[in-house]
Amino acid sequence: MKIRMIASYTMALSVAAAPALAEGTLNVLTWEGYADSSFLDQFVEESGCEVNATYVGSNDDFAPKLMGGGGVYDLITPSIDTTALMIDLDLVEPLDPSMIEGWDGIYPKFLALDGIQRDGEYYGMPYSWGAIAFMYLDKAFDEPPTSLDALWSEENSGKISLWDDKSSIYVAARRNGDMNIYNLSDEQIAAARESLIEQKPLVRKYWSTAGELVDLYKAGEVIISNTWAGYQSSLLAAEGIEVTEFIPEEGAEGWMDSWMVVKNTPNRECAYKFLNMQLSEQGQCGVANVNGYSAANAEAARSCMTDEQFEALHQDDPEYLDSLLIWAPLGDRFEAYLNAWNSVKAQ
Amino acid sequence: MRFLSEKLPGVAVLGIPLLWISVFMLLPYAIIATYSFWTKQYPTFSPDFQFGNYLTLFTDPQYSKVLIRTLKVSLLVSLFSFLLGYPFAYFLAFRCKSQALRTWLYMAVIAPLWVSYLLRAYVWKTILGTEGVLNSFLMSIGILSEPSDMFLYNQFAMVVTLTYIFIPFMVMPIYTALEKIPRNLVEASADLGLRPIPTFLRITLPLSIPGVAAGFTMTFCLTFGDFVAPFLVGGPDGNLVANVIVTQFGTALNWPMGSALSILVLVIVLTVLSLSGRVERHYSPKEV
Repeated sequence: MKIRMIASYTMALSVAAAPALAEGTLNVLTWEGYADSSFLDQFVEESGCEVNATYVGSNDDFAPKLMGGGGVYDLITPSIDTTALMIDLDLVEPLDPSMIEGWDGIYPKFLALDGIQRDGEYYGMPYSWGAIAFMYLDKAFDEPPTSLDALWSEENSGKISLWDDKSSIYVAARRNGDMNIYNLSDEQIAAARESLIEQKPLVRKYWSTAGELVDLYKAGEVIISNTWAGYQSSLLAAEGIEVTEFIPEEGAEGWMDSWMVVKNTPNRECAYKFLNMQLSEQGQCGVANVNGYSAANAEAARSCMTDEQFEALHQDDPEYLDSLLIWAPLGDRFEAYLNAWNSVKAQ
Repeated sequence: MRFLSEKLPGVAVLGIPLLWISVFMLLPYAIIATYSFWTKQYPTFSPDFQFGNYLTLFTDPQYSKVLIRTLKVSLLVSLFSFLLGYPFAYFLAFRCKSQALRTWLYMAVIAPLWVSYLLRAYVWKTILGTEGVLNSFLMSIGILSEPSDMFLYNQFAMVVTLTYIFIPFMVMPIYTALEKIPRNLVEASADLGLRPIPTFLRITLPLSIPGVAAGFTMTFCLTFGDFVAPFLVGGPDGNLVANVIVTQFGTALNWPMGSALSILVLVIVLTVLSLSGRVERHYSPKEV
């Protein structure tokens, strides 16, 4: 009896392990929601490719995870400030746009970005985008805030949160009137650092994950912060907490995430099937519905979104897109930005 | 052949642990030490032999600030663990007459170790938060008129959480040390006319010092390497040295700097260990 039980366990294990070992299992390292079962299940069924998703909490997770080696991952989705680093680290391979249906539907503005190109070849497939907007708790403000000054205001002392990221340097620089946030001089970075140190006593907590920010609002700890537009606000709305997103007078950053194929993936065929699905209506409206992010393929978005959603996600609003300061790779200046932010946190 | 079969057990007994220590302890330390002399160079870092990383550690005030804060928090956690843990261990060893009760109380201290560290730290968030249990309680008994935000997201919250989490490591060695003290020493002291408090100060406490030193060392070193509490319950001024190391290895992709900082932490922890070792030896009962 015992032996039979062991035998059946072993069999169950080997059956369970089989799909993972079979060719055609894609391992994707991505953001939560980007491989959501609401649109992924259909893909798995139709393509015969299994998908294992591992989630990152920050753009800074991609490099260390891939540098760990082992050839574990096939596809990644870094944001436009991190894509160039992936190319520099020789971790990703060039794409063949001719094999991706819907490529021509992508906003030209995204296809023109340097971060996803090198030597005339594309390394990233634009997927979704949005703003690093600001957000406040409706009931805490009689007069809606319109400026970044609200995040430096004594009135909101102890109720302010800011993303624990180099992005805080961008925010402080804009408040100082330095709009060249991706090319700041050492003096401008130092000034931003001073502003953040001045702000620090007013800050309740620097948030690091989407869930953490939602918890901070839910627990009544925070009334104003920056946010990944569309995402945390919809999670809060689902909890019945009314918050409003806004773009301050000083502007906001924009981000855009791209799918990249990890160098020498053994699953190229499945990878391209996956890219095609993600850029089609299935993937584009999938991510818009799950995460509240805007879609990179304008044509797909038009055919699968309702008019309201199309408008709410600024899909037909080139001015909105142009008003965002789209993240850019900082290259070897990254260290200066990060060092300034680390020294703020060390205070 | 015979030689081999005679020697083999000895080789295995010594060899396996030695191999284990070399591969999983010494080699990683050597790798970290090597990295600490490398240079950060976009996009990653390149082999080198220079002391720039160590120099930065001592010249850039952000590192000394975080180190001093970490020392402070670690000392406070050790101190509070001692102040709470010693009386408890003393009660268990000397005053608790029922063996069953003693077992239960001892288990009550140990049991939380079986619950996930993360879960326990999370619980403190719900206790200390602005709309948390502590605030509701203080408001219901009229001490506070409106919720206070002074309990969570600051160094106080970190010390409370870490003390709660690491206190078993203080209670266990102290209890063990107290248990070992022969009862007739205390009785003899009383017979010779010393009152309970002087007896405690001159007999019991000195004999329990090795346990206290072990407890201090463990709570101190565990706190010194903690990076979860600052993340969960710490505030804007809560960064500890382990968080900086995490940032250097992750976000910054500056493994050389992270390694240099790790080596510095290692040196501090080894210093604490050797100091406490001396204290323990000094106070251990001498063989006559």
